[in-house]
Amino acid sequence: MDRRLLIQSAAAAATLGAWPLARAAGTTKVAVMIPQSGPAGLFGPSAKACAELAAETINARGGLLGQKIELLFGDAGLAPAEASQAVLKLWKGSGATAVIGMHDSAVRGALVGLFKGQVPYFYTPVYEGGECAKGTYVNGETPQQQLQPVIPWIASERKPKKWYMIGNDYIWGRNTNAAAKGYIEKTGAQVVGDEYLPFTVDNFDASLARIRDSGADAVLVSLVGGASVGFNKAFASFGLADKALRLGTLIEENTLAGIGAANAKNLYSSAGYFANVTTPAATAFASAYAKRFGPQAPALNGLAESAYEGFLMMEAIAKKAGSLSAAKLDAACEGASYNGPRGAVTMKARHVEQDVYVADVTDKGFRVVKTFSRVSSGQTCKV
Amino acid sequence: MDGGTLLHGLNLIYELATLALTTLGLAVVFGLLGVMNMAHGEFVMLGAYSVVAVQQWGLPTLVAFPLAIVVCSALGWVVERWLIRPLYARPFDTLLATWALAMLMRKVVEAIWGKGFRNVEDALTVAMPIGNTAYPAYRLGLIALAVVLIGALFLWYRRTNTGLRVRAMVGNPTLAQALGIDTRKLASRTFIVGVVLAGVSGVMLAPLIRIEPNIGVDYLLDAFFVLVVGGLGTLAGLAGGVGIIGGAQALVSSMAGQTNGYATVLIISILFLWLRPDGIFSRR
Repeated sequence: MDRRLLIQSAAAAATLGAWPLARAAGTTKVAVMIPQSGPAGLFGPSAKACAELAAETINARGGLLGQKIELLFGDAGLAPAEASQAVLKLWKGSGATAVIGMHDSAVRGALVGLFKGQVPYFYTPVYEGGECAKGTYVNGETPQQQLQPVIPWIASERKPKKWYMIGNDYIWGRNTNAAAKGYIEKTGAQVVGDEYLPFTVDNFDASLARIRDSGADAVLVSLVGGASVGFNKAFASFGLADKALRLGTLIEENTLAGIGAANAKNLYSSAGYFANVTTPAATAFASAYAKRFGPQAPALNGLAESAYEGFLMMEAIAKKAGSLSAAKLDAACEGASYNGPRGAVTMKARHVEQDVYVADVTDKGFRVVKTFSRVSSGQTCKV
Repeated sequence: MDGGTLLHGLNLIYELATLALTTLGLAVVFGLLGVMNMAHGEFVMLGAYSVVAVQQWGLPTLVAFPLAIVVCSALGWVVERWLIRPLYARPFDTLLATWALAMLMRKVVEAIWGKGFRNVEDALTVAMPIGNTAYPAYRLGLIALAVVLIGALFLWYRRTNTGLRVRAMVGNPTLAQALGIDTRKLASRTFIVGVVLAGVSGVMLAPLIRIEPNIGVDYLLDAFFVLVVGGLGTLAGLAGGVGIIGGAQALVSSMAGQTNGYATVLIISILFLWLRPDGIFSRR
């Protein structure tokens, strides 16, 4: 490196380092990591809208401990190393004091390793469970939460005797099905098969033949996105929808749009939020969203809405702690609670106790048929 | 025959038929013109979105066929005239240019319909009883249509005047030109036939597949593997490639799981590229 270049880079580094000090008093910067590219990129626009609505709502009632929230968006649809670089720029470069993340677990792993508890990090989407890192607060539904009350309820309503489990071959698909196995056996039913498919699969004929041969009358679908769409369409076209009910814990509004209502007979989805939840809080949220973003707004769904919940949790913990410092937030996180679109949410063991909704499908989309209140996340992190 | 065997047999035929269907267009463009069209899968995607558009406008689904044919041939003509023609005999440049075209087509579709999944309804996707089992009626229709389409293409290539000229052009372009064949026009038409075949296969597959702007790559890869194994320019090669790739994928998947099925396809393709780069029927 020659001398001039060295001086230039030193000057650039100094400017970059001084940036956080230059931020206006009375505002606090919050980094929002959402997928803006890649396969999950389709959730980008709706998640961004939910984050904006959350910041505006909190600012309108006086801000975060009196400070106006300013949003900084980063792309979490990249490879973990690149997403870490993006968040590092927002944290060290632009001076973000907290991070809201709605992205996959690979990126979460990288971010947790990067933050080491120095920045409060609110992770919001449905995930497989097990994250106990200091300074990390999880709003997303865990497999235990989505299945523990739901499988016995389905057992009493529909009385399936044989369950078949299918999932994508990665940690979420496998953990979800592993959790389900215990709950299924407790109902007296039997698990007659389970299998895990790579993400590239778009022909499900072999699996469908096995499901038919197994005589299953219930199928747990832990496939994600396009795989779930392809599987459920083919499942219905083979006439299996009348023979076996289906339950999924990541079939949200976009996935259902791909499957089509006609192919979703006897299909149940279990989640902490649906755009069609009709509680007063959820309806108020949906109408505020519609009012703010107009008729062309990206459709609401559980993943995008989780980003909104992340902001509410940040506000609740900050109020309880009376501070935004990472150490004080961590000390105050246990028991922090708020009422949001999902209902009453309370933080326990870095995860949340929240309501879980079960929906079936009509030609108008999801219809909530059962609500379980304040379901535990089943996680045991020490705080 | 018991229900299970019949079901597996029909599944195998269906897999081969869809593979043949989505490969036909690339076989024409790559095999006859030597153009590796990286946007091949995007033309399949355009076909699927023609059905989405037609259903959005409330028109009968069959209108998607003429719509896809018009859209793909117009786009094919423009692309051949201004993107491919200046780059004939520069295979690597064509590859880059058509890859850029593929990205552009994805983004345009994304701008119109968004990144989200789309679904098209078709009353025929329900299962109908056959023997001791049930099979989706639409799939049976698709298999029949695929056979008709391949037959028609074979007759066009072997029996018609245009087919004869195309063969002359492929065999010796300079001599063909000297004999008064307008190879430019012929190449343009051949390219259009290729992309229209891709579009029509997209229309036919639409009710059965997931629909989103990025599905094209799947079809490009599979078609490419078939041509690697089967070699270029012959119908027997196409059939052989479809049989080996589709058959290996279906058999290994049903016996040893999907991961191994896909791995087998990759290994076969690598072996062919290495040991028989001109495909299964090459005499070299």
